[in-house]
Amino acid sequence: MLVIKEDNLEKFLDKLKEKFEFIDIRKDSSDGGLPFKKYFFPPVQEIFSTSGSPTSKKSKSDFVLYGLDLPDLEALTQLDEIMEKPHEDYFYFQRRGQSIIIGLIRENMDIVPGGDIVLEHLNSNKYKVWQNTTKGKNLIKKNNSYFSAEGGEITEEKPPQIPKNESLGYWQKTMRSMLLDPELLAEVVEWSYGHEIWDKLMKQCLGCGICTYVCPLCYCFSIEDKVGLDDKCTRCRKWTACTLPEFARIAGGHSFRPTLKERYYNWFYHKFVRAYKEFGKSQCVGCGRCQAFCPAKIDIQEILKTILEDYKKKDE
Amino acid sequence: MSNIYLPEIVKVTKIEEQSPTVKLFRLVPTQGSEFKKNEKGLVFIPGQFVMVGQIGYGESPFGPLSSPYEADYIEVAVRKAGVVTNYLHSIKEGDKITLRGPFGNGFPLDFIEGKDVVSAIGGCGIPPIAALVEYIIKNKEKFGRVYVLYGARNPEEILMKKKIEEWRKEGIKIILTIDKPADGWDGHVGFVTDLVKEIEINESNAVATMCGPGPMMDALEKVFRPLGIPDRRIFVSMERKMQCGVGKCQHCTTGKSYVCMDGPVFYYDQVDKNFD
Repeated sequence: MLVIKEDNLEKFLDKLKEKFEFIDIRKDSSDGGLPFKKYFFPPVQEIFSTSGSPTSKKSKSDFVLYGLDLPDLEALTQLDEIMEKPHEDYFYFQRRGQSIIIGLIRENMDIVPGGDIVLEHLNSNKYKVWQNTTKGKNLIKKNNSYFSAEGGEITEEKPPQIPKNESLGYWQKTMRSMLLDPELLAEVVEWSYGHEIWDKLMKQCLGCGICTYVCPLCYCFSIEDKVGLDDKCTRCRKWTACTLPEFARIAGGHSFRPTLKERYYNWFYHKFVRAYKEFGKSQCVGCGRCQAFCPAKIDIQEILKTILEDYKKKDE
Repeated sequence: MSNIYLPEIVKVTKIEEQSPTVKLFRLVPTQGSEFKKNEKGLVFIPGQFVMVGQIGYGESPFGPLSSPYEADYIEVAVRKAGVVTNYLHSIKEGDKITLRGPFGNGFPLDFIEGKDVVSAIGGCGIPPIAALVEYIIKNKEKFGRVYVLYGARNPEEILMKKKIEEWRKEGIKIILTIDKPADGWDGHVGFVTDLVKEIEINESNAVATMCGPGPMMDALEKVFRPLGIPDRRIFVSMERKMQCGVGKCQHCTTGKSYVCMDGPVFYYDQVDKNFD
């Protein structure tokens, strides 16, 4: 088992900072908590312009994304899959190819869901090192003096537990246990169409779209054109939210989902029903951002619990 | 890996007024002299759609209506409705615009082959059916009886009148109807219920195709059901807000399906129970 000690980790990271742009996403609050997806799928992406296609030049150099936790690592792996199928997304993978992902997890895992290197917290000054990709392996090889091999199981200190009383930690834990059965969630959310909870939510939800912007797995976008004062035209891919009124509105004013109720339900429907059909998973990793940032205090876990309970009751 | 959102530039060589609000545009490639053909030798499969637009205005989805065998040009009909379509109505022959596609599945040609075909069109829904009719005419010996029921609000709004006459000469049975009586109109008026009597098909070996706005679902109840065509053999061309065309942006979803990838042609069973 490969391990790295706390002080060596600092040195290793310093070394990386010399060579690469280094982003510690735990400390990156520059734009109000937008998740890591913005580095690969930015809020506004130029697709092409009349002064040339941006595809011909590499925009930025390689960069390190450090500190992705378990939900984020899972989300990144899912996002890779989404962007790969059915057509590979050029812009996403251009940035993905330039990235080095280093995860930082507290959970004791048999297998880790993604990242080039994942550091598993063993105790206060030691991390188990997972090398998941060739990129990660090469990086460790080049800096092997910081790492050491240890045999057998580490049992000297127990791994730190997720605090039960800390609200987000507890929220994540319970949400993630629900996500273990995506088939059931798909069935339940599909069944819940017409459930009274969607009427209630329509009144509670402000339709602002924040939940989708902070979700590491929401990737809806609109294609919009801009005309500059210098006559330069640019076509952009811009984040959008399926809860916004214009999302399914077409020329002439007709909307395929005219009310917030339909749009909000569609958000759930995509995450738990359509995503399950497409990828066999729920497009939720239980990170908790949507409920933490919702100005109307909507908690998706509570919604799922409610409809799940009613679903179970229906056959009684 | 290439930029899947990058359109090609095409030249407009013909613009034809079809109705007070609809114009037909003939688009010709600027790179090379022909559009690429697929493995069936078609430029697109009838029922597929293309994204037509202009940089600075945007793109909108249209179903090509020209013959899919025609590689020199693609024709689309554009109803004036929003930003892109208003722009298109303002351009002149010789102008250059953008084209992306074709996208989607199109009608299941191999399945339709060897059968009687009844198509129902409402309003502006003629393009995909028009391309299908062109395909059928080219492969006449492989198809049974072919009917086209076309309903429009008034005589002026019947599109592709010249083509319709050509199709008639080729043996396609066309039944036109308008919503309210109008001067100089001696065709059918009102909804198509009665027209069922005029249709003779072998219902156990017939398919239906349809394209048109919401009320067209009536056609299904009033025509296809009485004719005995089961839902699995009724192919509807759906419309949603297609934007990326490649199953990513999420605008065009209906239930578990993407109209741009899984559609726009669905058999009725696939979509009738969708929540949206």
